[in-house]
Amino acid sequence: MASSIKYPENSCRWFIEGDSFCLITNVDSEGDANTTARKNWKAIQEAVTDGILLYYYAEPNGVSSLSDVPDIDNSLHLALVDYVKKCLYMDSAGLAADPNASTVATNMSMLHKQKWDEAVKRFGMKKRDKTGGMRSILPHSLT
Amino acid sequence: MAVHSITVKQILSRIRQVFPDVPETYVMNLINDALVEAGMYNSKVVHAKMSTAANQMWYDLKDAAKDSSNNVLEVNKIFRVYFMDNDGDYILIPRLIDKDLLLTDVSSESALQAPDSR
Repeated sequence: MASSIKYPENSCRWFIEGDSFCLITNVDSEGDANTTARKNWKAIQEAVTDGILLYYYAEPNGVSSLSDVPDIDNSLHLALVDYVKKCLYMDSAGLAADPNASTVATNMSMLHKQKWDEAVKRFGMKKRDKTGGMRSILPHSLT
Repeated sequence: MAVHSITVKQILSRIRQVFPDVPETYVMNLINDALVEAGMYNSKVVHAKMSTAANQMWYDLKDAAKDSSNNVLEVNKIFRVYFMDNDGDYILIPRLIDKDLLLTDVSSESALQAPDSR
């Protein structure tokens, strides 16, 4: 069922507050503008099935068995190895009785942390960007 | 199928080259921790539909929140929202940045300009 809102780009706004999504409109259930200026923006006054379409970053599915393939792009799969090694080396650094062994394990942990950060945080988006080709900019008309 | 994607077992075998005695459950937990962290970035883009309810301003986005098809949303960051117009088409709607300005007006109604009617 379609909504009664003719121009959602003018009549609807959204924002996020904590774990909640807020949708407000300046029209009533008939699609007419709210007449009370002070309370112009209110909750939507009609039920619209599938009315909101969200695009978002979602949480990947977790793994639970040895045969599972991690639910992220395969370019990140090797980074998971770095993440696990980072944690295990830090564990072994904490358990080591020998200070030298502890230092080596800490350094190895930092090395794998850097590789994880680089793969996921620093260059992750750039590497996995599916957009190819040259970048071009369409300038505004100066006339 | 992807050219090369590795399973948990293959990850475990790589880990065991260095840590031969590490329990597989612990490695699996660490992989899940890593997936949660990777989900904060551009690793899995999803679109979902939600239904509106009359006079309801707030919609839940918690981990267990569901879309209109009863699928769990698992939202990390919303970056685009569309709303269905009177033709049934989805139109991009703007995010409100300065929400306090519009929602907490202490002056009289006459102090505000009503938007143009269409």
